[in-house]
Amino acid sequence: MTTSTPTPVLEARNVTMRFGGLTAVRSVDFTVNSGEIVGLIGPNGAGKTTFFNCLTGLYVPTEGTVSYKGTVLPPKPHLVTQAGIARTFQNIRLFANMTVLENVLVGRHTRTKEGLWSALLRGPGFKKAEKASEERAMELLEFIGLAHKRDHLSRNLPYGEQRKLEIARAMASEPGLLLLDEPTAGMNPQETRATEDLVFAIRDKGIAVLLIEHDMRFVFNLSDRVAVLVQGEKLVEGTSEVVQADERVIAAYLGEPFEGDPGQAEAAEVEAAEAAADAASTTSTKGEGQ
Amino acid sequence: MTDLTKTTTAPEPGLIPLPAAAARALTLVGGIATAASAFLAWTWTSEFPGDLTITGYPGGLQWLTFTGGLLITLFALSGYGIRGLGWLLPAGNNGPTVLTALGAFGTTWFTVIAIAVNLDGLVNLEPGAYVAAVASLLAVIGAFALPAGADETHNAKAAFAAGLRKGGIPSNTRIVIATFKGLAAYIGKPDRIPAPGALAPWVERAVITVVTAVGLGVFTYGIDTEYGELFIGYLILVVFAMWALHSAGLTDRFSRLVAHHRGFTLAMGFAAAIAFPFTQTDDHYANIGVNILIFGTVALGLNIVVGLAGLLDLGYVAFLGVGAYTAALVSGSEFSRFSGVQFPFWAAALSGAAASLIFGVLIGAPTLRLRGDYLAIVTLGFGEIFRIAVNNMDGVSGPDITNGPNGIPSIPDLDFFGFKFGEAHDIGGFTLGRFANYYLLMVLIMAIVVLVYTRAADSRIGRSWIAIREDETAATAMGINGFRVKLIAFALGASLAGLAGTVSAHVTYSVVPTPYQFAGSTPPNSAFLLAAVVLGGMGTVAGPLLGAALLYLLPEKLVFLQDKSLLAFGIALIILMRFRPEGIIANRRNQLEFHETGQLDVPDTETLADDPAVTKAGA
Amino acid sequence: MNTLPQQLANGLLLGSMYGLIAIGYTMVYGIVQLINFAHGEIFMTGAFGALTVYFYVLPDNTAMIIAVPLMLIGGALVAILIAVGAERFAYRPLRGAPRLAPLITAIGLSLALQEVVRNFYPDADRARAFPGLDATHDIGSVTIKDADIFLIVAAIVCMSGLAFFVRRSRTGRAMQATAQDPDTAQLMGIDTNRIIVIAFAIGGFFAAVAAVAYGLKYGNVDYRMGFLMGLKAFTAAVLGGIGNIYGAMLGGIVLGVAETLASAYIDGIPGMQQLGGQGWANVWAFCLLIIVLLVRPQGLLGERVADRA
Repeated sequence: MTTSTPTPVLEARNVTMRFGGLTAVRSVDFTVNSGEIVGLIGPNGAGKTTFFNCLTGLYVPTEGTVSYKGTVLPPKPHLVTQAGIARTFQNIRLFANMTVLENVLVGRHTRTKEGLWSALLRGPGFKKAEKASEERAMELLEFIGLAHKRDHLSRNLPYGEQRKLEIARAMASEPGLLLLDEPTAGMNPQETRATEDLVFAIRDKGIAVLLIEHDMRFVFNLSDRVAVLVQGEKLVEGTSEVVQADERVIAAYLGEPFEGDPGQAEAAEVEAAEAAADAASTTSTKGEGQ
Repeated sequence: MTDLTKTTTAPEPGLIPLPAAAARALTLVGGIATAASAFLAWTWTSEFPGDLTITGYPGGLQWLTFTGGLLITLFALSGYGIRGLGWLLPAGNNGPTVLTALGAFGTTWFTVIAIAVNLDGLVNLEPGAYVAAVASLLAVIGAFALPAGADETHNAKAAFAAGLRKGGIPSNTRIVIATFKGLAAYIGKPDRIPAPGALAPWVERAVITVVTAVGLGVFTYGIDTEYGELFIGYLILVVFAMWALHSAGLTDRFSRLVAHHRGFTLAMGFAAAIAFPFTQTDDHYANIGVNILIFGTVALGLNIVVGLAGLLDLGYVAFLGVGAYTAALVSGSEFSRFSGVQFPFWAAALSGAAASLIFGVLIGAPTLRLRGDYLAIVTLGFGEIFRIAVNNMDGVSGPDITNGPNGIPSIPDLDFFGFKFGEAHDIGGFTLGRFANYYLLMVLIMAIVVLVYTRAADSRIGRSWIAIREDETAATAMGINGFRVKLIAFALGASLAGLAGTVSAHVTYSVVPTPYQFAGSTPPNSAFLLAAVVLGGMGTVAGPLLGAALLYLLPEKLVFLQDKSLLAFGIALIILMRFRPEGIIANRRNQLEFHETGQLDVPDTETLADDPAVTKAGA
Repeated sequence: MNTLPQQLANGLLLGSMYGLIAIGYTMVYGIVQLINFAHGEIFMTGAFGALTVYFYVLPDNTAMIIAVPLMLIGGALVAILIAVGAERFAYRPLRGAPRLAPLITAIGLSLALQEVVRNFYPDADRARAFPGLDATHDIGSVTIKDADIFLIVAAIVCMSGLAFFVRRSRTGRAMQATAQDPDTAQLMGIDTNRIIVIAFAIGGFFAAVAAVAYGLKYGNVDYRMGFLMGLKAFTAAVLGGIGNIYGAMLGGIVLGVAETLASAYIDGIPGMQQLGGQGWANVWAFCLLIIVLLVRPQGLLGERVADRA
C-alpha cells in the first residue's frame, strides 16, 4: 500500500552518538516513509541498538536531529511515544507480574488521559474511558492471537507469545512507526514465519515498521529497504537485492581476504583435486558401464 | 479436573504410625478432653491472673484452651464425614486438624508453664492443669497420626527432598531445614481443592456477615486483654487457627466470596468498625482503637507510596507531623502562634492535608527524578529535619512558630454542630466516651482513605504506578512520564498522612516534636509505619491495617517486653525479610515478585535457587 | 577562637570523619547498590570495641601511645566482624530480591545493633567516657588537639592506602571490575562474593578508624552516635558521587566545612538571626544535599555505579 509520493514518517539527520571517547554512531542519515518496512542490519557492536535508543529518546544524540512527521523529537522516551513512535526491546521487557490484558492496557497510557481525580471521583467519563481502553486492548490481543489468555500472568507465557505480547503492547499506543529490536531472536523457523506474517499485517494497518534483525532471510523477505550499519556508520542502503550483492556488506560480515592469503591458492588446489577425482571416477564408471 | 473424594486410594499412615481408626478416635477424644479440662481448676491460688481456680467455670486463659479444644473437636468430627461439617475440610487434608491441635497444645502448655514459672514451682498446679496438658498432647499425637492423603505425603516428600538439595549450607543445617520444609508442606494447603458448590447470593452475604461478626469478636477480645500472658496465649491460638483455616482452603474460599461482593464486604467491615466502640465499657480501649485507626490510616497512605508505586519513603511520619502541627496552629489553642484563629474542622483538615501536600511536592520534585535510593535518604533526612526544626522554632533558637520542645498543648476538642467531641454521649443505652467520639470520626476518615486507595489502585494511574515499579525503562517507553506519576503518588501519600495528622492532633490534646522520629519505642514513627506496611502486606488494603494493629498492640500489651521491644522489632524485621517478605496478607503480585513459585497454570515446584539465571533472548 | 581559619579547620576535621565513614557506604553501594543502613551502627560498635580494649583489657593508665593502636585494632576487629557478618547472613540471602527487602533488613539490623549495645553493654544507656587526646597546639590563630592530629594523619594514611590498593593491586582492580559489571567480572573468573566481603571489610575498618578518632576528639561515645553520623556520611557520599571513593572523602570535607561555616556564620545574615548554632547545623547539611541533587545529581566527582538496567 505505497502511496505515490512517499511521506517521510521518520527522518534522522546526521545523528551522532559519542560516549566519552567512543563514537558508537557516526553521522547517520536515515528516513522511513509511511507504509514502509525498513530493515537495519549490521554485525554485532555496529551500533544498531544505540541508534534505536537515539531514535526513542533513551539517549540524547551528541549531534544531529531526529524528527517524526516533520517535528523534531524531544529527548524523553515518554514524549517520543506520545508523538507516535513505539518500540519493543531486545531482551523482553514485559511487566512480568501483570496480566496479559494489563500489559496492553499500560500500553494505552498515552492515548488516554484519565488522571488521579478522575479515578477517585469515578464519574461516567472514567467508566467510559476504561471500557473503551479495554475494548481496544482486546482488539489488539485478538489481532495477535492472545485474547484467550487475557488474564494469564505475562511471565507464564511461552517465549514466542511473550514477544507477540510486547508487540501488542507497543501497538496499543497507536504509533505511526513501530521499532522492533530483534523480534525473532531465539525463535524457531515456524515462529519466525508467523512473525513475518504479523509484521506484514501491521504494515497493512498503516503502521511503518523499522526492524533490527540478524535473521537475513527474515529481513530480506520483509523489507522494502535495508540499511547496513557497520561500526556506527551507514554503509549501504537500498533494496534487498542491492544490499545482498554489495561487496562491502559481504566483507563486513565475512571479512576480506588479506595480502598473500592462501585462500585463492587453496581453492584452486581443491578444485584441481576434485577435477582429478572426477576424471578418475568417470574412467572407472566407464568401465562398469552406466 | 478429577472429582476429589475424601477417601482416596489406600491412604497411607500419618507421620506417627497408628491405625487410622485409633488416630481419629484419639484426636476426637483429645479435643473433647481439652475443651472439658478448661472447666477444671488449674491452680489453687488466684495470684495468677484470670482466676483459674474455679472448677466448673473457665477463667482467663482457660477460655482459650476451651476454644482450641472445641475447634479440634469440630475438625475431628469433620474427618469422620459427619454431614453438615463437611465444609470444614473440603479437601479432606489433615493440615487443619494438626494445626489446630498444635495451637491448642501451644496455648495450653504455655499457660501451664506460665503458672509454674510465675508461681515458682510445679506444686502450684492443680490436677486440672495436668489433665489439660495431657489432653492437648494426645490431640496432637492423634492429629499427626491421621491417615495422610496422597497429596500430603507427596508434597512433604518433595519439599524434604528439595530442602536437602539446597546448596551453600552445611549438611546438618540442611537436614533440619529440609525437615521443617517437609513438615510445612505436610500441613500446608493442598494443591487442588474442590470448588465449592454454588451458594445463593443471600447465603454468601450471610456468611460474610457472620465472619465479620466473629472477626470483630476476636479482635475485640484481643484488644481487651488485660495482661500480657493472656495476649500471648491469644496470639498463639489465633495464629494457628488462621493457619489451619488457610490450610483447609477456607481463607481462599472466603476471598473469592469477598471478591464477588466487594461493596457489601467493605460495608460490613465498616459496620463492624463502627460497632466496636459500642462493645467497650471503658473508654480506654476506645483510645487504643482510635490510635490503631490513626496509625492504620497513615500506614495505608504509605502503602500507596511504597506498596503501589515502589517509592522508598523513610520519613513518612514527618508528613503526619506537618498535618498535626498545622491543625494545632489553627485550632485556637492559646499556645498556638495564631491563637486568635480557629478554623472549623473541615478547614483545618484541608489545611493539614494541603500543608503536607506542599512539603511532599517540595521534597519529591528534586529527588524523584533520580535513582530510588536517593529518595530513601532524602526522606530520612527530611524526617529528622522536621523534628529538629519544630523543636527549635521556639523563639529562642529559631523563629517562634511551633513553641519548641513544649509543643502546642490544650488543643480544644472538636465541635460538630453542637456534638462536642470532648464529652461523653449516651446513645441508646451505650455510653460513648471522648475517645469513642474521635474513633467514629477516624472511621469516617479511614473510609475515605480506603476509598481513595482502592479507586486509585484500580485505574489508569494505578496501573502506571505498578508499571513504573516493575520496569521503569519499559514503562517510560510506553509513554508513562515516570517523574510525574511518581510525584502524584508521593504527594497523594503525603496529603493523606496530613489529613490523619489533623485528627491525631485533637485526639492527643497536644502536639510535641518527640514522636516524629525515625525509630522509637512508641508508634507512630517512620520505621514502625514502614514495618506495618511491609509486615501486613504491601499493596493490599487489609495488610497495612493488620500490620498497624499488630505493631501497636504488641508493645502495648506485652509490657514486660518494653525495654527490649526495639531490639525484638529490629530482629523481627530481619527475619521477616528473610523468610516472608511479602508480609502476612500477601498481594498475589508481590508474592510472585519475591518468590519464583506459585504461578497460576504451572504446578508449584521448587526452583533451584542457586543456579545462574537462564537468559532467553538473543544477541 | 572562632576565627575563620579555626572554623575552617574544624570543618575540615569534621569532614574527614564524615569522609572515612562515607567510604564504607560508597564502596558497598557501588558494588551491590545497597544502602547499608547499618553502617552507622558499625561505626558505633567500632567505638565500643575500642572502648572495651581501653577499659576492660588494658591495665589502667596505659600510655596513650600504646593504647591507641591497640584500641584501633580492637575497634577494627569488632567493626569488621559485624560488617562481614551482616553481609554474609543478612544481605547475601537477599541478593536477587527487590530493593525494598535488603533495605528493610538493613533498617532492622541498625535498630538491633543499637539496642544490643544499649541493653547489654555495661552502662551504655548514657554516654560513656572515652579517653581523649586533649593536648592542644596553637598554629597561628588555629588551635587543634592531639586527637585532631591523629584524625588527619589517619585519614591521609587510609585514603592513600586505599587509593594504592584499588589502583595497583589485583584485588583492587577486581573491585573496580565488579563495580562496573559484576556479571562479566564473574565470567572473567573473579570471585565476586569475595570482592563484596572485602568491600564490606574495608568499610568496617575505615568506620572503626573514624570511631576511634571521634572518641579521642569528643571524649565520649553513645549508642546513638551512629545514626546521625551515618546519615550525614551517606549524604557526603552522594555529594561526592556515589560509588566514587575520592568523591566520598571530598564530599565529606565539603559537607563538614559547609556545616561548620553555616552554624558559625548564618546568624550574621540579615533575616536569619535565629537560625545559627549547632541546633540548625543538620538542617543546613540536609539543604546542601537537596541543592546538590538539584544541580548536580551525579555528585561532585561523578558516580561510579554498575548499570543494573
